[in-house]
Formats: sequence, structure tokens, C-alpha cells
Amino acid sequence: MNEEHKKIHMHTKDVLVPIIKRVKTYLEDELGIDVFNTSDITCPDNIHIKKNTVMIGTTGSIKLIITLGFDDVLLNKLFEIFIGDDDIEDSDLEEVRNSVACEVTNTIIGNAIDNPIDNSDIYITPPVLIYEAKTLKKSKDSKFVFVTFITKYGEIELTAVGPKEQFENELDFKEI
Amino acid sequence: MLNVLVVDDSMIMRRNIKKYLASLGHNIIGEAKDANEAFNFCKKNKPTLITMDISMPGMNGIDVIKKIKNINKYFSIIMITSYGKNEIVRSALNAGAQGYILKPVNTEKLYESIGKIYPEYLGLAEKDYIIKET
Repeated sequence: MNEEHKKIHMHTKDVLVPIIKRVKTYLEDELGIDVFNTSDITCPDNIHIKKNTVMIGTTGSIKLIITLGFDDVLLNKLFEIFIGDDDIEDSDLEEVRNSVACEVTNTIIGNAIDNPIDNSDIYITPPVLIYEAKTLKKSKDSKFVFVTFITKYGEIELTAVGPKEQFENELDFKEI
Repeated sequence: MLNVLVVDDSMIMRRNIKKYLASLGHNIIGEAKDANEAFNFCKKNKPTLITMDISMPGMNGIDVIKKIKNINKYFSIIMITSYGKNEIVRSALNAGAQGYILKPVNTEKLYESIGKIYPEYLGLAEKDYIIKET
């Protein structure tokens, strides 16, 4: 591995660690939902994404696709927090629920993203909701990083997908 | 009381920002889910203040600010963003936005941001806000 690749690997970790931390602080500090466990961070060959999954891409010197997948019960809880006592028309329920998932993802990733390489901007794409559960298999040139956050309302799964050369072989995230 | 247009592609954000602004005593005169709706609204109406998501599909936030300012340079714009550090925010302020709010948006952040642009509303809004909170 050359020095340039080593640098990018380290910086990819520097991008992901704040996002992982922000998932927890956003849920706990902003929404009052305790995250009582976080799984080990793994690099699987396949991932099964939940049906309520929001995808955001990063562009700039670090290119990743980041997804957050929400269990139904947890998304219902987020919906309840965002809506409060308001009445929602039945015809708007689905759109509002989807926009809550997108908004939570956008806020978490936007708040956490920073560029540790050269202070140039990393831009994030608008969030896209994936409606159906799918299984994704990595190609030989890509890598998945996967972590699960467990709350009493269910789980949030975070996946980052990027070019293999952006990641270290062993991701040392133990300090989280 | 400010007449406010709320521009955001997210339905939940439009709902909540309208609710927060109303709790501060402001008058929501319209909402738009994209740049074109915002332009059309601004051509026919005169919002004092526009809150606008900096990142919506298919639009460049800077161009939107410039176009809105071309319609009426006195419209005040507060950008809403999840990421406050990048060049887009700096350019948005240079293009004429008066302020920005880092998500998550809440009543307090709107109150402070509006107060920086319209100090005369700060005291009034504060009074109203305190009454509503208690």
C-alpha cells in the first residue's frame, strides 16, 4: 500500500467515525431515544438493506454511498416525535413518514460530514428513499462497512459503500 | 409579524418550520416544494422573509438566491442546511442570504436567526414566545 492510499484509508475512517457517533448523539440528544447497544463494525460481502432505507452519496475527495435503514417501529416513533400532536391527512401519511426518514438521515450525515484530507468541500446528495428491502452483493472493487444501532424501538443499520482502495483491510473502530 | 414563505422539498420540514414560525407569531403566506414554485410565488407575492432548504433536487441554492433577489432585492432569505461548513453556505451568504440555520431546526434557532435580521422582532417574538411556552 502506498502512502497516498494509506492517507485516504485513514481519512475514510475519519469521515465514518463522526457519522457513527452522530447517529447516537442525534437519537439520544435531539430525539430522546436511547441507543443501548452498537454492534461491532463489520465488512461483509453482502448486505440486506431494510425496506425503510435512505441513501445519500458523498462527492469530493472521499466518495461513499451511505445508507441508514430503519425498523418500522423505530420509524413510527420518529414520525410520532416529528409530528407531535398534529393531525395528518391519511393521504399524506406515507409521504410524511418517508420524509421523516430522509430528514433524519440528511441531518445526521450533514451534521457529521467533514473533510479531513484537505479541507476542500465534501458535498452530499439529496436523500433518496429505497422502498423495498434488497440484498446487495459487493463487487471485487468495492467494500461495505456495516454497523447496527439498537434502541428499544428497533434498529438502525448504517452501511457505507465505497471503492475498496478507500478502506483499510482491517478497520480499527474499536474506540467508538 | 413577518410574512414568510417556506421553501423545502421535505413535507415534514415544511410542516414543522411553519409550526415553529407560527409559534413565534409570524404569518405563513405560502410554501413551495421547489425553486420554480418559489419563483412563481415571489413574482406574485411579497414575503418579507423566505426560509429555504439549501439543497433540493435539481437546483443550485446559489442560483436560487440570485434569482429571488432579482425579483426583489429586499426579500430576506434564511438558508436551512444540515452542513454548515461548506462553500455553498459561504457562497449563499455572499449571494445575498441573510443567515443560515444548521439542522435540526427548532423554534429557538429560528427565533435567534430572525432576531439577527430583524432585531425589532426579537423582543416582540420573545414576549410572544414566552407567553406561548408558559
